[in-house]
Amino acid sequence: MANEPATVEALEPPDLDGKPPQHVAVAGLEHDAEKAESRRGFLIGLPSYVYLVLFFALPLAIVVVYSFATRSASGLTVLGDWNLRSYGRLTDDLVLLITWRSFWIATVTTVICLVIAYPFAYYIATRAPRVRALLLVLVMIPFWSNFLVRTYAWRLLLSTDGPFVRILEFIGFSDVRLLFTPTAVTLGLVYGYLPFMILPLYASLERLDHSLVEAARDLYASGWEAFRRVTWPLSRPGVIAGSILVFIPSFGAYVTPEILGGTGTTMLGSYIQRQFVGTASDWPFGSALSVTILFVMMIAATFYFRSGGKDL
Amino acid sequence: MSEITTQAAVSPQVTSPADTGSAVTLQGVSKRFPGVKGADPVVAVDHLDLDIADGEFFSLLGPSGCGKTTTLRMIAGFEYPSAGSIQIFGDEVGLEPPNKRPVNTVFQSYALFPHMTIEQNIAFGLEMQDLPRAEIKQRTGEVIELVQMQGREQRKPKQLSGGQQQRVALARALVNHPKVLLLDEPLGALDLKLRQAMQDELKRIQEQVGITFVYVTHDQEEALTMSDRIAVMHDGVLLQVGSPEQIYDAPRTRFVADFIGDTNLAEATVVDADHVRLADGTAIRVSSDRAPDSPITVALRPETLGLRQHDAERDQRLDAVQGVVARVTFLGNANRYEVAAADGALVFDVRQGNAPGVEHFAVGDQVRVRWSPSSATVLED
Repeated sequence: MANEPATVEALEPPDLDGKPPQHVAVAGLEHDAEKAESRRGFLIGLPSYVYLVLFFALPLAIVVVYSFATRSASGLTVLGDWNLRSYGRLTDDLVLLITWRSFWIATVTTVICLVIAYPFAYYIATRAPRVRALLLVLVMIPFWSNFLVRTYAWRLLLSTDGPFVRILEFIGFSDVRLLFTPTAVTLGLVYGYLPFMILPLYASLERLDHSLVEAARDLYASGWEAFRRVTWPLSRPGVIAGSILVFIPSFGAYVTPEILGGTGTTMLGSYIQRQFVGTASDWPFGSALSVTILFVMMIAATFYFRSGGKDL
Repeated sequence: MSEITTQAAVSPQVTSPADTGSAVTLQGVSKRFPGVKGADPVVAVDHLDLDIADGEFFSLLGPSGCGKTTTLRMIAGFEYPSAGSIQIFGDEVGLEPPNKRPVNTVFQSYALFPHMTIEQNIAFGLEMQDLPRAEIKQRTGEVIELVQMQGREQRKPKQLSGGQQQRVALARALVNHPKVLLLDEPLGALDLKLRQAMQDELKRIQEQVGITFVYVTHDQEEALTMSDRIAVMHDGVLLQVGSPEQIYDAPRTRFVADFIGDTNLAEATVVDADHVRLADGTAIRVSSDRAPDSPITVALRPETLGLRQHDAERDQRLDAVQGVVARVTFLGNANRYEVAAADGALVFDVRQGNAPGVEHFAVGDQVRVRWSPSSATVLED
């Protein structure tokens, strides 16, 4: 035992003596190695760069360019005569009405999702790990079938001889109409996007240290006060992420309002789509609408994330 | 120290819970947790009786899983007892929620609210009690001074070191003037130096505010240094309650003797009321009330043993065993000797201070291990 440290000591100094010359070269080598590393990183990323540029950045650029073009009398797009006329039409009464309607439906959808998802996410997060995994799978099961098919199923459920209407009439309501109303659209959107609210909420509630709630209770907070002062503020990142994930696709929703909505429930997605097909098409105006929505959403999302993230 | 006065009269199981001096009284408290996947329920605490006096620094000591934390959580209200009664200053609280109990807790993980400043954290309990703003301000200020955290009121918990977070957790509980303060291994996450400093500080604060502390720890040294009384728990059962001196000098069971400090356990056979015979045939003086020939265990603390050179004539005396030094470990302020007697059937761990003039021994030396009869304790199991 006592011998070992001595041998190590005896061996090491010569070893170190051999090294110093290398130290001089290392600085340069390190630089080369770092450059090689970043080249490799670029190569790994190259396929996705190419994909994103070809199929995302480029089409988006085309949309931006088209938004400054002109619609000819026959409905074709004239490139070259660049102007801001399409953007001028954004304040038309119809556009404002549809935007307001989209905003309202998306907001109601988000709030309903939050109200339903929060207790459910809390319930999942407080189960035993095995039960938790099972419940999360159940939340994601709807994703296994086609969204379009599921939305058409809602059409059957909401139709005049469907179960919802029958139940409402049985209770005593008369002349109930659900399909092709804003209610139907909201129901469909809530159904479609609820998992996007549950999952981020679950993630933030699951991370929450339960001893913080116990500490609040210990410091004379009632169950409700402990929730209001501790659980809720600490789950805010999940609330914000979930709200954004539900609000943005609801605001620009196309499939759901097309299938479940009627003429009186046109939302921005359908309105934009109408600018690109049929005789009334107006590509520059559709492009201007798309670009504006994209821009506003980006700013709103950034703002929202910033305001929620700074406390944590 | 106050412990001597509180100590003298108190023998917990005997004291009636109706006594005005009791801060916390547990009677026949049990806690069973449902077994996982149809297994038998787990008994975390088994028929526990405790009586904690007002103003006492009381420790619940035991290895992890012994039920000490569950006991504390039942006093705090985070768990409800499966059976038994819990009283705080005479009021039955067993089934009350935590916010209805006049106690506050310092959590092992501190559990400071990460989204609040230090000041907001400390003021939380007072705000929940709807106290006037001015009083909240004043009391928060006082307690910040008590734990010496002035100037850091506006920081977030994350910006503080572990020791500072610890003080804030303490302040957040103390600001409410609880009748009893519950501490769940509050120093567990700190490094040794800081832990020792905090031990002194906790003791100072407890003496300053004068409230009852119920302190859960698995660190026997911590319990010995700080407590007025210690309750040793194992497998959900209370083994012994007493002052640190009583627990250390007169452990009642093998587990207590072994868990608290180092100890030599020697198997022996009763000879008569005042003598027992060790495995090597030596008779030693220990009083016991067992019948002759019944097997017993004798506990001897290493530092109560002395080593002398082998001496044929003196070795005939009682309270000494002949042996051979098997191992010597230098501890700085002391030497630790392992002495084998009776061909290894008996091994003594002897600690001898390195004061000037103390004889040193080497491996293989023939020695005599001796002790004063009063330092030998007969265990119950």
